[in-house]
Amino acid sequence: MSLLRLILCELKAIVSDKAIAVTLFGGVLFYAVLYPLPYLHQVPTEQALVVVDLDNTSLSRTLVRHADASPKIRVAAGAGSVAEAKMLIASGDFHGLLVIPLGFKRDLLLGKGATLSYGGDASYFLVYSALVEGLVSAGMDAAKSVQLLGLLSRGESFTGATLSLAPMHLNAVPAYNPSLGYIPYVVPGLFLLILHQTLLIGTGILGAGQWGGSGQPGAKGETGESGYWTQVSPLKLLLGRSLAFGLLYLGFGGFYLGWCYHWYGVSVQSSLGQMLLFALPFLLSTLFAGIAASCLFSRRELPTQVMLLASMPILFVSGFVWPLSLIPEPLVLVSKVIPAVPAIFGMLKLNQLGAGFAAVMNEWLILWGLAAVYFVLAFAGLRWRRNRQ
Amino acid sequence: MRALLRRELTSLWQSPWQLALVSWLPILSMLALWWLFSAALPRQLPVAWVDLDNSSVSRELGRHVAASPVASPESFTHLDDAIAAMNRAEVYALVVVPVGFSRELMTGGDPTLDVRYNGQFLLVGKLLAANLQLAIADAMKPLAYTKQLAAGASPHQARVNMAPIETQTTALFNRNNNYVGFLVPPVLLALWQLMAMLVFANALNRELADAPETPLSARLVAKFVFYTPLLLAQGLFIHALLFGFLALPVAGSPLWLVPAMLATLLAIFLIVALIFLIMQEAARVVSFCTALFAPAFAFMGVTFPVHDMPAAAQYWRLLMPSSHYIDSHIALVSYGVSGTELLLKLSSFVPFLLLLVPIYALAGRGLRASDMAKVVNEEPAL
Repeated sequence: MSLLRLILCELKAIVSDKAIAVTLFGGVLFYAVLYPLPYLHQVPTEQALVVVDLDNTSLSRTLVRHADASPKIRVAAGAGSVAEAKMLIASGDFHGLLVIPLGFKRDLLLGKGATLSYGGDASYFLVYSALVEGLVSAGMDAAKSVQLLGLLSRGESFTGATLSLAPMHLNAVPAYNPSLGYIPYVVPGLFLLILHQTLLIGTGILGAGQWGGSGQPGAKGETGESGYWTQVSPLKLLLGRSLAFGLLYLGFGGFYLGWCYHWYGVSVQSSLGQMLLFALPFLLSTLFAGIAASCLFSRRELPTQVMLLASMPILFVSGFVWPLSLIPEPLVLVSKVIPAVPAIFGMLKLNQLGAGFAAVMNEWLILWGLAAVYFVLAFAGLRWRRNRQ
Repeated sequence: MRALLRRELTSLWQSPWQLALVSWLPILSMLALWWLFSAALPRQLPVAWVDLDNSSVSRELGRHVAASPVASPESFTHLDDAIAAMNRAEVYALVVVPVGFSRELMTGGDPTLDVRYNGQFLLVGKLLAANLQLAIADAMKPLAYTKQLAAGASPHQARVNMAPIETQTTALFNRNNNYVGFLVPPVLLALWQLMAMLVFANALNRELADAPETPLSARLVAKFVFYTPLLLAQGLFIHALLFGFLALPVAGSPLWLVPAMLATLLAIFLIVALIFLIMQEAARVVSFCTALFAPAFAFMGVTFPVHDMPAAAQYWRLLMPSSHYIDSHIALVSYGVSGTELLLKLSSFVPFLLLLVPIYALAGRGLRASDMAKVVNEEPAL
């Protein structure tokens, strides 16, 4: 059987097996839409705030209006007391609290200083940080105008007064993800993980169906090429299968890293050549890892289950959600054997941080190493399966 | 019924994978996920510190930043080296003290201090930005104070002038912004939902292998009755880990969540059963359920707030039993709502009961004969 014919047989088996088709074509397309869906609005805005205004003066009302003007906050309700506000927050519809104390304006005018209390629901960290950022900037605004009034009333010149308020200018700017949006944060790593997991599942189901030989629909029979995998040498089968899945995943990869990144506004800093150069060992190591793992299964419903349970740990250990320096060292070391882990971090440095290819050399070499190791394992696995038949 | 339950027990005993799913595998993976986040509070994150001024004021600033629990400054002589380190994600933020910073400050100029933080690592970047600003503002305070005194203000007046409005910020329900308290419960619950889905799917798939005389609907009920206590035990293990071992704060008794857990399991079972009855092929059932349940974590609305999701995402969220459960979970753990209110919240699960209609109709028709003839191979895999 020629290699070309083998590849065609493989592709036919992939397409006609509904379980693989659901995962590969359905999963890849469906997830491209579904996973980023909750994050489409990028940043949390207009968080519902409960105001307890015990002062009820022109200044306190100005402060409330300032808070409401912040894009991050919406003054949703007023409460007469902190206890009442607590009940409102416990209802789950409001997440923040601003308490303006009694005598707020009087104390400020007398030059005695006053204390504002902010509260945010820290069960949701993004909500909390949005609320606090909004409230702090509103409060600073109010404080500045009060300070300015005080300084001016003591006879300072306007320019002098503004100067001593801010002795220096702090220019804090987020880099790489200037809008602090959630999609550029999650999507690059997540999409690589989806590609990785679906590829492992696809090779797993195909392999398990053939070794199990339980005559499942699609694995054989329907294609009319029953048992083609027994007619070729293990090395040739490995080559043919890698090429078949590799061709498909070049398409999927192009769709995810090209079209989807563009569609979701994810930055791509590397050149096409660098990206291909980096993606090559990732694709190869994942292919070989998938084929090697498939030799462990003989029931078609198992690979999906194992890979599904592994997804969440891989996602969190790859270091783009939770910093690598905080993950226990043994976990980081062990996780390096999963191709997705070095690949996600390397791609992040290459595309999002724009570090250049020299910075990802380490990850690149790890991926080539993994590809070599998994190639040997896949070959050994296929030969073992072949001998058992 | 008893015979049916005994049948489930023997089939569970014969399947090593299913046995793993109800026993050691969930415990192991839950502990591993907790271990991953066990640092709980991000601290000592590397920050590049480029001091081009090298004056007593800039060194004072550096000491203030070093004193911050979150940041751990690393000195760079050249800006280019610092930028390269930032690009390689070796440091998460960059502070540049410009040449002449101290002189500008003393002569009443308006020097600029540049801070760049890594927005790609959203969590770390935001945290560092807030803490660096806090540390720098704090370092600047004595300077402004001296300035006020020099201008002739009394010490008390000078303090009030500097900050007429004091603020006090409270992180409600999670006082120290603990990431274990924030992230681990939804992660574990998402994992629990996946476990339940897989266990139910595997149990149902056994029906494709052999066909006893009893009607299908009775067998489905038996499966739910048999596996629910086992899965509930996993849920209670999560509670024991979170509120017992880790002693996370909880405003009410976690036992009030048991009804919600049962409702979640019922909802998962109904969804899986419907998919099983439609697909009737083991790998396809598992693949389809996986596609459906895998993204549940993103839709729980803990990491990204629900009311900021697009409407389509909010509707999709309602399809996931875990999002209904997490609402009850947070209501009890954070807000401390009473048990009766929690029971009322269960009504959000009621629409899942509508699935009973198609399930009943499909179960009445039985399984397709062609599939029943097939024999699941006995070889214990993996």
